[in-house]
Amino acid sequence: MTCPEYAIVAEGLTRTYGPFIPGSAGKVAVDGISFKVRKGEIYGILGPNGAGKTTTIKMLSTMLTPTSGLAEVLGMDVRDGKNIRALRKRINVVSGGERGLYYRLSGRQNLEFFADLYGIPKKDQKALIESLLSLVELIEAADIKVENYSRGMKQRIHIARSLINSPEILFLDEPTIGLDPEISRGIRSLIKKLSDGGTTVILTTHYMFEAEELCDNMVILSRGRIVGKGTVDDIKSSISRVSSLKIITEEDPSDVTASLCRENLDAVTSRLLNERYLTKITLNNADRAFTAIEDLFRPYAISSVGVEEPTLEDAYLTLVNEGL
Amino acid sequence: MNPRAVTASFKQQAIQFMADPQWIIPSIVSPFLFTMVMLYIHQDVTGPVVLQAVLGGGVLGMWANTIFASSFTISYDRMNGTFESMLLSPTKIFDILIGRSIWNAFIGLVNALLVFAIAEMIFRTGVSLANPIGFFFILALTLMSLASFGMLISTAFVFSRMGRFFSSVAEYPIYVISGALVPISALPVGLQHISYLLAPSWGVDAMRYAAFEGYGSMMGTSLLTDIIMMVMLSIAVLIIAYFIMNKAERAILSAGSATRY
Repeated sequence: MTCPEYAIVAEGLTRTYGPFIPGSAGKVAVDGISFKVRKGEIYGILGPNGAGKTTTIKMLSTMLTPTSGLAEVLGMDVRDGKNIRALRKRINVVSGGERGLYYRLSGRQNLEFFADLYGIPKKDQKALIESLLSLVELIEAADIKVENYSRGMKQRIHIARSLINSPEILFLDEPTIGLDPEISRGIRSLIKKLSDGGTTVILTTHYMFEAEELCDNMVILSRGRIVGKGTVDDIKSSISRVSSLKIITEEDPSDVTASLCRENLDAVTSRLLNERYLTKITLNNADRAFTAIEDLFRPYAISSVGVEEPTLEDAYLTLVNEGL
Repeated sequence: MNPRAVTASFKQQAIQFMADPQWIIPSIVSPFLFTMVMLYIHQDVTGPVVLQAVLGGGVLGMWANTIFASSFTISYDRMNGTFESMLLSPTKIFDILIGRSIWNAFIGLVNALLVFAIAEMIFRTGVSLANPIGFFFILALTLMSLASFGMLISTAFVFSRMGRFFSSVAEYPIYVISGALVPISALPVGLQHISYLLAPSWGVDAMRYAAFEGYGSMMGTSLLTDIIMMVMLSIAVLIIAYFIMNKAERAILSAGSATRY
């Protein structure tokens, strides 16, 4: 099955670890997931630790053989050993963290080594490496040993390494983990630039704002299964029944709050600095309950009422918790 | 084989190796101490004994270096996360390890010569080789045979992070069985059969041919037979290593063990 429109097609993709893997014996890490990634889009794979994000990336990037199901990357079946080397020329992976570089080599020497492993012609290497160092703003540090790099510099040289073969698909496994906001913003901007240039990006992240800012489409995994899929708006609307009602009153409504809690509604009142009271109530059906709740608070002199729509993080937490 | 990858990994290994001063211990200190012990055991520091001891120390240096480097590099890659980056590239792990093994062989030659030079400097016995050119040619071939062995040992590290136990166990037996420590004829008959299967055994015998005037082969063979056997067995080991390495690559993709260290 070849779909030129899609960079990745996964159908019923499953990975079970064998009986001799310490700590993971017989564990189903990814359980029959299906999704499609269009060429050139940024596709997010979200989920809590152990949800199967990294396992999914490993299977799609030829680093792990799927137990069952289909995974077609750039029209090639990743399970077919004959495709692996051809596919590896066209993809690359960046893992978060500081591992994966030769610390006693300089940034430039690392890039030269990997350029050779990817068969980049010698005559093109110098210009390519210079342009990559420039892209990740490491020209001045290019000849310093990587062991002397800061964490942010290591992550940037990782990204430069991953672009050495001009990959059509770039897998980014938590690329901004542990980085300061300024460097993270730089990396997000780089990811957008790559996507604008036609590179398909598969991104895993724990930062919802990052996923919201970058991803065209996404899947949310929980315990190896997909619990949410689509655009950011699709994901949010899939839990639209959950909204937060915010009521500000002049007088303390704690009695009402307590009675709402007794009815199993998630309600919290806090005192504001300007001597008023803010009550937040999470509703499962805002439309139906709104008027009734407002009536309960009216005796406490309501000064404002507002409904807060769910964020991606709200949606994520709801979907993941439902999936547990 | 991918010559570009071989050259790149040779260069990468050289930089990594020189940046880590630990290499001095297995490559120079250990064989040098061994050479001294051999000399004091024999209580004789005249020509043939010195040469025998230095030859043994030199071979130990080459072998220790091969086994240390073969095991250390892949262990380092696993620990450092670079094994996954290597595996992800379109280059075969075998090609990368060939380049590294050639560097290891080269540095092994330097180590052997250093041991020889230091021993000569201390004991000043004026050791002379019967056929110096032939000796160094055979020394280089023996190094290549050790490098091919190093490739085979590297496969254990590709398979598993626990490969270091295998290399620790392999270090001294190979040294003894190859005849570098004592003549093969002094070994139990069962071990002698194993000796004939090891390329370095033939290399050590050939080196003795070139070193000692009127040497009578411990294996009962001619110098040419020694060289042919060494080359053929080295090629056979390389072929076996190639197939095991490919199998190891498939196995770790299937087990998902590339990132474990």
